[in-house]
Amino acid sequence: MVGLSLGEKHFIQGGIDQNLRSDGRKRDAYRPISIETGVIPQANGSARIRIGATEVIASVKAELGRPNALQPDKGKVAIFVDCSPVAEPMFEGRGGEELSTELSVALQRCLLGGKSGAGAGIDLSSLIVAEGKICWDLYIDGLVISSDGNLLDALGAAIKAALSNTGIPRVQVAAGASGDEQPEVDISDEEFLQFDTSGVPVIVTLTKVGRHYIVDATSEEESQMSSAVSVSISRKGHICGLSKRGSAGLHPSVISDMISVARHISEQLINKLDSEISAAEADEDEM
Amino acid sequence: MEFVNPEGLRLDGRRPMEMRQLRAQIGAVAKADGSAVFEMGNTKVIAAVYGPREVQNRSQQINDQALVRCEYSMANFSTGDRRRKPKGDRRSTEISLVIRQTMEECILTNLMPRSQIDIYVQVLQADGGTRSACINAATLALADAGIPMRDLVTSCSAGFLNSTPLLDLNYIEDSAGGPDVTVGILPKLDKVTLLQMDAKLPIDTFENVMQLAVEGCKAIANYIREVSDSFAREYQTAGVSTWLVVHKKGIRAHIQAPNPCLVIVGLSVVKSSLETCCIYRSCHLLSEFNSVNLLKS
Repeated sequence: MVGLSLGEKHFIQGGIDQNLRSDGRKRDAYRPISIETGVIPQANGSARIRIGATEVIASVKAELGRPNALQPDKGKVAIFVDCSPVAEPMFEGRGGEELSTELSVALQRCLLGGKSGAGAGIDLSSLIVAEGKICWDLYIDGLVISSDGNLLDALGAAIKAALSNTGIPRVQVAAGASGDEQPEVDISDEEFLQFDTSGVPVIVTLTKVGRHYIVDATSEEESQMSSAVSVSISRKGHICGLSKRGSAGLHPSVISDMISVARHISEQLINKLDSEISAAEADEDEM
Repeated sequence: MEFVNPEGLRLDGRRPMEMRQLRAQIGAVAKADGSAVFEMGNTKVIAAVYGPREVQNRSQQINDQALVRCEYSMANFSTGDRRRKPKGDRRSTEISLVIRQTMEECILTNLMPRSQIDIYVQVLQADGGTRSACINAATLALADAGIPMRDLVTSCSAGFLNSTPLLDLNYIEDSAGGPDVTVGILPKLDKVTLLQMDAKLPIDTFENVMQLAVEGCKAIANYIREVSDSFAREYQTAGVSTWLVVHKKGIRAHIQAPNPCLVIVGLSVVKSSLETCCIYRSCHLLSEFNSVNLLKS
């Protein structure tokens, strides 16, 4: 919870108007980003990301399951987010549930595409082991460890890093099972398949404070926002998902302006994340 | 099942009286007043302390001492097979209670009447001994927050399998069904503050096992003291001095404040905001708070 006095509110708003925010950044600048992969050895893939004082962990666990009868050629992905009370006393007990749900739904919207599974950042058909019978269920868990604004972008980036860190065991399906029988499977301990994460979009949230909008807002700045637009954009520059938060209305022309700015920023962010992820992977290999 | 092989080695290659590798890091959560990560082998927990601060729920306020609260939670990915559990199940409620009682015992609560201290522990990886790891992490986090304490409580567990006392059980040994003795001690005062055991054990064996756990606690206490001392040294040599940006109706001013300091605006103490901020860090007693400046708003 951010309790600000009138003077502080003016200070933040004035800084944004003058393109010099309280921590010295410009409106379109991110805080320093650092990524560490493989932080949870029990998971198939995991990553921790820090953006300024915001810190989140994402883990990917894969389990064998049955594909949905309506989509026999696609695997399943579920995203859950948990806000730890460690990050903010407000999240104690059931206090974090509302925000957790909001973040999970926004991430699902941004990364998983529609109900049909089309347009998902993760290629769901690559999760199929035996069509109609066996598929991989991916459980993506996000955990907020330290919260200083911009949680959605951080979670999106952490999931991207965790997915590129994920190895799915190669599975051999025993031939000969027919009809409705579940075929026998042999899960390899040594061979792992890597994901193609080049299609996983990044999320850029633009927070509108006063007449201007900023990226990577801290929690103090978020408390002053009138509305925020989160755009998920793939490397090709395609918009994969969009959500608007905050109660204030926005003029449609402002929204399209924001989207084009977000597209521009996402190019830099994707490059930054990719270099951080590959550096983190190299570090992990050295260990 | 064989938990100690004929060569005297355990499943993970340890000797019966060997502890897993300890690792600790202070200051993991930027926004908390105090925080720490504590690892015992593959068990990894993070603890954050908020306070002493105003009591949030007035009806819980205690007039002659501080209110200590604790919440324990496990991450979905912390266990081997992924589980999604509802918050506040009986196990975590019990562990929260245990941690709270253990920490309350060592905090000098009478120095901070009408205030509240929140301890949150989050398990990132569970591989046996989470209870102990949580207590150790909470101790470090409380020290980081500069909360006055009688002593640094530490905790460790020991078990008895294949007629051998084993120190610091991991998950496989813990779920073997043998006794699991968790002990928490105040090492300097030489007092036991936490003792729990499940399953049964002959009394004379119990004494050995408990003695082993106490030895483990003492080893952890040495480690924790080392970590907190080296952290304090780093902190001092860094010569942290903080620029406070003070703002009043559009006028920006910089004040350099020594650390530790407390800035009071008007009559209310405001913390971690731009207008005023006070740094609780490295203040060991409330009386040590050095109110450098009284700024009238």
